[in-house]
Amino acid sequence: MKINRYCLLLAFLLPLTLWAQTPVVVTGKVTDSKDGNVLPGVNVVLKGTMNGTTTDANGAYSLPVPASSTLVFSFVGYQSQEVQIENRTVVDVQLVQETSELKEVVVVGYGTQEKKDLTGSITSVNNKDFKDQPTTNVAQNLQGKMAGVNITTTSGTPGASLNVSIRGASNPLYVVDGIPMLSESNSTMSTSFDLSGTPVGSGQSISSISDINPNDIESIEVLKDASAAAIYGSRAANGVVMITTKRGKAGRTKFSFNHYSGVQTPTRKIKFLNSQQFIDLIQEARANDLAIYNKDNTAFGQGFDATQLTDPLHYGTTGVNTVWLDEVLKNSPISNYELSATGGNDKTKFYAGGTYFDQSGIVINSAYKRLSGRINLDHQATDKLSFGLNVNVSHSRNRRSFNDNTYTGIVTNALGADPLMPPYDANGNYSDYTLYHTNWLSDNPIRSANEIIPYTTTNRLLASVFAEYKITKDLKFRTSWSTDYNNVLDEQFFSPLTTDAQAVSGKASRSVFEQLTWLNENILTYSKTIGKGKLNAIAGYTMQETKSSLSGISAQGFPQGSGLQNISSAALITSASATGTSYGLVSYLGRVNYDYNGKYLLSATIRTDGSSRFSPSNRYGVFPSGSFGWRISRENFFGANETITDLKLRASYGLTGDQEIGNFQNNSYWKPARYNGNVGLDPRNLSVPVTWQSNRAFNIGVDWELWGGRISGSIDYFKSNKTNLLSNDYIAGTTGFPTITRNRGEIENKGWEFTVNSVNISNDKIRWNTSFNISFIKNQYVSLSNNGLLLSAYNDGNPTHVMMVGQSVGTFWAIKYAGVDPANGDALYYDQSGAKVNAATITFDAAGVAGKAIPDYFGGINNTLTAGNFDFLVATQFNVGNHVYNQIKSAYLNLGWSNGGGLDGVYANNSVESLKRWKKPGDITNIPRASFINQNYNNFSTQYIEDASFLRIRTVTLGYTLHPKNVNWFTSCRFYASVQNLYVFTKYSGFDPEVSSTGSGDPRTAGYDYAAYPQPRTYMLGFNLSF
Amino acid sequence: MKKIAITFLTIIFISSCNVLDQVSPNDVADSKVFTTKAGAEAALVGLYSSMQAKYYYGGFYQLTADLNSDVGIDGGYQNTVLDELSNVSVSTSNTIVENLWLALYYTIATSNAIINRIDGVNDATFTQDERNSIKGQAMAVRALAHFDALRMFGEHWNTSSAYGIPVVTTIQKATDIVPRSSVASSYAAIINDLKTALTLVDKADRTPVYFNRVAVWALLSRAYLYQGDKANAIAAADSVINDGTFSLLDQNNFGKIYSAPYQSQESIFELTFSIQNQSGMNALTYLRPSALRSDVYFLANANLDTFFINRPGDPRAALVDFSPNDNDFSITPDGRSQKYRGETTRDNPAFILRMSEIYLIKAEAEGLAGGGLTELNTLRANRGMAPLTGATISTEADFTTALLDERKAELNFEGHRMFDLARNKVFAAVVGPVKNTTDYSVSDFNAILPIPKQEMIATKGALTQNPGYPTN
Repeated sequence: MKINRYCLLLAFLLPLTLWAQTPVVVTGKVTDSKDGNVLPGVNVVLKGTMNGTTTDANGAYSLPVPASSTLVFSFVGYQSQEVQIENRTVVDVQLVQETSELKEVVVVGYGTQEKKDLTGSITSVNNKDFKDQPTTNVAQNLQGKMAGVNITTTSGTPGASLNVSIRGASNPLYVVDGIPMLSESNSTMSTSFDLSGTPVGSGQSISSISDINPNDIESIEVLKDASAAAIYGSRAANGVVMITTKRGKAGRTKFSFNHYSGVQTPTRKIKFLNSQQFIDLIQEARANDLAIYNKDNTAFGQGFDATQLTDPLHYGTTGVNTVWLDEVLKNSPISNYELSATGGNDKTKFYAGGTYFDQSGIVINSAYKRLSGRINLDHQATDKLSFGLNVNVSHSRNRRSFNDNTYTGIVTNALGADPLMPPYDANGNYSDYTLYHTNWLSDNPIRSANEIIPYTTTNRLLASVFAEYKITKDLKFRTSWSTDYNNVLDEQFFSPLTTDAQAVSGKASRSVFEQLTWLNENILTYSKTIGKGKLNAIAGYTMQETKSSLSGISAQGFPQGSGLQNISSAALITSASATGTSYGLVSYLGRVNYDYNGKYLLSATIRTDGSSRFSPSNRYGVFPSGSFGWRISRENFFGANETITDLKLRASYGLTGDQEIGNFQNNSYWKPARYNGNVGLDPRNLSVPVTWQSNRAFNIGVDWELWGGRISGSIDYFKSNKTNLLSNDYIAGTTGFPTITRNRGEIENKGWEFTVNSVNISNDKIRWNTSFNISFIKNQYVSLSNNGLLLSAYNDGNPTHVMMVGQSVGTFWAIKYAGVDPANGDALYYDQSGAKVNAATITFDAAGVAGKAIPDYFGGINNTLTAGNFDFLVATQFNVGNHVYNQIKSAYLNLGWSNGGGLDGVYANNSVESLKRWKKPGDITNIPRASFINQNYNNFSTQYIEDASFLRIRTVTLGYTLHPKNVNWFTSCRFYASVQNLYVFTKYSGFDPEVSSTGSGDPRTAGYDYAAYPQPRTYMLGFNLSF
Repeated sequence: MKKIAITFLTIIFISSCNVLDQVSPNDVADSKVFTTKAGAEAALVGLYSSMQAKYYYGGFYQLTADLNSDVGIDGGYQNTVLDELSNVSVSTSNTIVENLWLALYYTIATSNAIINRIDGVNDATFTQDERNSIKGQAMAVRALAHFDALRMFGEHWNTSSAYGIPVVTTIQKATDIVPRSSVASSYAAIINDLKTALTLVDKADRTPVYFNRVAVWALLSRAYLYQGDKANAIAAADSVINDGTFSLLDQNNFGKIYSAPYQSQESIFELTFSIQNQSGMNALTYLRPSALRSDVYFLANANLDTFFINRPGDPRAALVDFSPNDNDFSITPDGRSQKYRGETTRDNPAFILRMSEIYLIKAEAEGLAGGGLTELNTLRANRGMAPLTGATISTEADFTTALLDERKAELNFEGHRMFDLARNKVFAAVVGPVKNTTDYSVSDFNAILPIPKQEMIATKGALTQNPGYPTN
């Protein structure tokens, strides 16, 4: 029995206490206080021990205990109850359901609060909402579930980062069990390189949040307004995501084994022309051009050689018809194994868990594997002193897809590859792409996938120890020391077979990123009830320091045929580097919550932060906030209302800050520079005094509940202004630098959020819940020091985005497409005077604002249905009003353009969309005439900016839970089948409307699609076994 | 308990001070650089390093000058910013244009830091001669960068034009904005820097990888020629020739210019690269034998093939490869310069000032009437070409054509063509027939690039856009 082996294993690993010796056996039945139904699976524990049991299918239990002792009954969704036995042998218990959502406890910064007492805007999600989903990043499981929180996947790359935007502000602070985490990508391989090996863009990043196993997480709270977030002052300007992991509960040691396996399949594959259609397109393009040439033989410039239009095309169909996307996108497996144990007595509690996650990417030769473990321990040493620790270790190994979404990537090369080219030639070698007919390729994509071997390996330790001491009855002191250690190894090997490394007979690079953060927090908490008032106050002092180092080495020339990939076997070291950086933060914080009679709630917070990133004279920032709550339903005048059972008004105002400018920007520095074998210094930056960016935020909201929780929800209006933006601001280039880091500009986010939770059906057989949220956000630049500046997603192309007052962050900038001239099939564009001109005449000077990456509104609808032992869940997510700049599409909708390649080859194959092209005068279409010599399209135009609104059916799960009657080795087992990313409703023509080829790093250049790795659909089966 | 608490808190508070005082392990504070002799010397190394930037002599500066002319054509993946240069129809937001501008002024800013701060270095071991040598080189580099900016962004052929460049000679604050000088004042600043440099740089040193004294003369000669001061151009060229350190290689040896170990006797000033400090030239013009046209950014135009076909016996034809690599209908490009081979090392230098150019400068300044054919024929003799005679070159116009052809044959892919045509006021006339299409015709204003849009915005209207380019 496999399961028993795990039990044995755990028995060795985990401390088990001895069962108490006792003369009495207590039996009884546990029922629901409301409907009297029996409750199976209730935990029954002898207080102060781990001795306990659970009720059987009939709600009955039997437990040997000492005669005078206390039993604790607990069950999910019910209030726990303690019962003194007092020599009884039969103890029946009725548990009271926790129906009202407002009674939930939520985690706030440096403490917890009952949801009914909240005055700030906080959204909370529990484990049950995100467990059993095949994701590497917990944020993915929250998509569409929280009002005001827009989470989008930037790429289907296993382990890819997500763009998390809270009320229009991207990149929130993550706090895991009190430790502010490094969330930015830290793999140097996130860089995209151009042909000469120069970095051109940030590319696809890997999220460091993915080091946390989603199923270890108990709850996630998002602090959205200033009042809630201000306690994290300095880094809370973009909101705070608080992640709380599972902790031990007193009682019998409960084991849980979870497993799922599934298959991922590529979806929304772009369809390409087959070999014959491809040749037809080229012939048509040449015929079109020849007609023009025959009319005017200077049309293509003097000395134009017309033979490329008249000579017979020397390649015909050879029977080869490769569907390249099918060659690089394959069905691939995913699986997860997880074992956890929780238990303890009233002195010591623990949670321990281990997980192995194994995902193969749908792009061939990509994979993500993660092994992680966690121990959370709490111990009550004396009445006054308690302490504990949290440890999370993880190891992940990620086989990356080389140059994910840039020019020379695997998917990029497969798009538009020649259908006449077979993947392998007759001898079984990779086909030589230079002998075929599309010059878009930089390599045979199969060869890239096999012969470029990039791995990212991460080792992560997140650990904290804490102690709490009760100084008096009302006053306690808590101190904690935490560390976040992160080690990322990037290795890349190009075999001598690859085009990139042919000339140098193989090349390799290896870089190591290492970062250590330590944090010390010291918090005094005072709670006191004075008459009808309840006071809770905290004061604290925290400090933290982060040091990191990055070293890298590149080499070339590997012994042919040896298989050696180590740098030490290389002929030449081409570069070596080692750099480091660090920063520190010191903070003082305080908060007072006052609750008068459960009706009037007041909260005031202040935090002062000092950061090493600023010069001593303007190092400290003060971030105060205040909020007020009024529980109207508790007022006498409201009376006993059967309909409206809870109503609360909240309002808050406050400041939060931002210091995200990178280290060592506060001074002008010189950096090492080399020439002729010597090393010297040249200027690195220019500096002006900078200080904290501050975010002024106002929030007003109502929490309401009808019919005792049957329907409940919230409405919030918010307005936040990020002022003194810390930005890379453009300055005159004659200073020697294009940009300087300074406080300039203002961004405003305002909008409405609505959440409704409804219990549609609730009886002893069926329970059906629906939750719905929708957020309307308007984001715009209010002021900028350089209005109208253009930005490029990849810095070797034309600009793609603009920063302009009145426009939102991530606004596109492109030439406006005016459609196809029905007379001659020319693509037409509006020039600066508004006249329509063709692709050869238009210049980029005519470009203008062309849509935005941010949606007008977004949200999700989630349904859960429980019927008997069955459970069913459907989760959806929608975004409306956002656009994507589908830049890559211009490459595969080139309409037979030769890119100067002459008769030997055209630019790239075309998607089937090209079949709708203009063919003869009078054709009304949006796809221009095919042309061999001239580019009859402009790739920096609105031709490729598409509406990317979507509705995604993200998760559908059906489960069945078994409560065995006559089996004693497990208490329950749930089997389930699930589909992730079942379907996307969208007009977008690329792989996926949720995309950002530049990763999640810079919202200013968001929504740009350069062949990002497509998101798969995943079918999976799994089970949760409790024993 | 209390004692423990107090000790504990004290430790925390003391360590907190350290937490906020972080020191960068990679950088040196600006205030510390010019405090010692070693610091000033380090800054000079940094100055040369700044010229190696990708968008300066690391590749793009020279190659842009050929691409925005009849000599070059772009490859690359539908790279519109390259297309614009190749089509000689550049938009103001072109990112290459912007990066060229930034690279030039970065070098100028670095030289200004040295020039303005070296006298303040308080180090007794730092002799006046050493200071002069560093300052002189910095002034020469500043002159070069200003000159390179002027011929790329200013109406350098017209000394009465207002469209010069911002001349920056002081250390800039972030908020400083420098308006454009006239062309005449721009030349004045450049020539003034070079004359001062002559008095400062080491009298004896002739190392070609640094801005030696002969290199200063050479640049002075070039600047006078562009300015139209022919007499001084000839005088400065004579100083270079008469110095005797550098001389022309003959037809059997001139290939040494372009092959390792480089620093041939023709190179007066070349920026050196190494395998650990690679140049972009190889990747941008050749990459690898089987590269595709989309892989290579800067290709030679078919026009250059025709040009060499019409110059039978010119050995320099071998420096551009127009023969397809194989006959298997390969899609590898025709027309790749062979001046920057070395795919494994990529240490191709930037040839900034060469002897052959000095003869061409002198010839151009002299003109047919001034005996320019002698200089032209000296170069031709060293390239195995028959001398030109008054019989075929009978007018000044013939001479200019012959001179421009000689320059094209000798200096292609070394960053001269666009400027040569503009200086001789034949830009549209020469480039037009090669690059015109039915929809776009090359104009003389295309002989220089626009002031980058980003710079126009960041300088809040202090700069005037070049004629012919949109002003918004």
